[in-house]
Amino acid sequence: MSVTREELAAFADGELGEPRRSEVEAAVAAEPAMMDEVERHRTLKARLALHFAPILDSPLPQRLTAPLSATASKVVDFGAAKQRRAARGVARWGWILGPALAASLALAVFLPHGSQAPGGYAGPQLTAALDDQLVATQASNAPTRILLSFRNRGGRFCRAFAGQAQSGIACKDDQGWRLRVTEAGAATAPKDYRMASSSAAAIMARAQDVAVGPALDATEEEAARGRDWR
Amino acid sequence: MALLPRLRRFAAGLARDPADGDDLCQATVMRALEKRELWQPGTRLDSWMYRMMRNIWIDDSRARTRRAETFVGEEAGLSVARGGGQEEAVTLGVIDRGLRTLPDEQREAVLLVMVEGYSYKEAAAIVGCPVGTLNSRLVRGRDALLAWLGDGV
Repeated sequence: MSVTREELAAFADGELGEPRRSEVEAAVAAEPAMMDEVERHRTLKARLALHFAPILDSPLPQRLTAPLSATASKVVDFGAAKQRRAARGVARWGWILGPALAASLALAVFLPHGSQAPGGYAGPQLTAALDDQLVATQASNAPTRILLSFRNRGGRFCRAFAGQAQSGIACKDDQGWRLRVTEAGAATAPKDYRMASSSAAAIMARAQDVAVGPALDATEEEAARGRDWR
Repeated sequence: MALLPRLRRFAAGLARDPADGDDLCQATVMRALEKRELWQPGTRLDSWMYRMMRNIWIDDSRARTRRAETFVGEEAGLSVARGGGQEEAVTLGVIDRGLRTLPDEQREAVLLVMVEGYSYKEAAAIVGCPVGTLNSRLVRGRDALLAWLGDGV
C-alpha cells in the first residue's frame, strides 16, 4: 500500500480519519523507514514547542497589556470566551504542552536517552505528589512536578511528571498509580541539551499515544482530584 | 488577555524576530479592540485574532517589500528569557535561522500546526486555503526545516 508523505504527516499529527488511519498505522508498523519519519515529525514538533516555550513564560511587555487593561471592562470577555472553548472541549494539546514543556525543560535537560517500562507502582512520595499536586497550583520547587494530566483509552486518569529521582507517566488504577513510562530523574543523568529535546519528545510522544482527548485544564484537574482520580 | 502569550509566540515566529513580533502583536491587539464588534460570540477568539495578525503581517510585508527593505539581522536570535547555556543558545539560533529560510506560506503552516497545535482544518481556516494545501505546505516546510537542521534533530 502506498502512503504519501502528506498522509504520513497527517497520521503523525493525529489528523487522519478512519478507515485510512488504521491502514496507515499498519503500513507504518510494517515499514521501519516510515516509522522513522513519523518519529522525526514528532521530534521536530517537540523541539519547536520547546524552542518557543520561553515566550509563553516570559513577562508581557506593558505596551501589550496596557491597551487591554484600559478597555478590559467594555471589551469582549476573554474569560467567558475561554470557558466556551473549554465547554466545547477544544483545549488543545499544543496549548497545554507548551507551558508544560517549558516547566519541564530544566528537568528534561538532564534526562538520559531511552526509557524502560516497569510494571511497578509509584512509591509513597511520588504517590503523594500524584494524588495531591495540581499543575496550576503546585509549588515551583516541588521535588516532583506534574507536567499534565489526561485520560487514557481505558478512561483512567494519567499524569506525566518530572522529578529528581524519576520522570515519566503514571496512570491510576485500583491498586494505585501504575508507572507506564519512566526515566531516571534529574539526579543521575548527563547534561546534554540535544538529548534533552529528544527525551522531552519521547515523553510527549508517549503521552499523546496514551491519551484520549485533550489534556485536562485546571478546573477539570481539580474535579478529578476531588474524585480521587477515579 | 489569556491569549496574549500565545499571540506573542505566533508573532515572533511570523515576524522572524521577537522585537518585530511584539510590534506585530501590539498592532493586532489595537486592531482587535477597534474591531471587537465584528467578533462573533461563540466562535473562537484565538482563531479570529490569529487571522487578523496574519493579515496585518502580510500588509506590512508588502509595504516593506515596496520599500525594498527586507534585510533581517542574521544574529538576531530569540532573545526572550534565554537559558544562558552556550549550547542552548546555538541550538535556538539554528531553529530561528532555519525557520527564516522557509517561504512565508510554509512557515506559517509549520507554526500553526507544529507550534500552536491547531488542527489542519483550523489552520487552513486561519490561512484561508483548502486543508490539502495546508497539509502539503506543512510537509514541504517541515522537510526543508529538517534538512536545514541536519540529522541532529
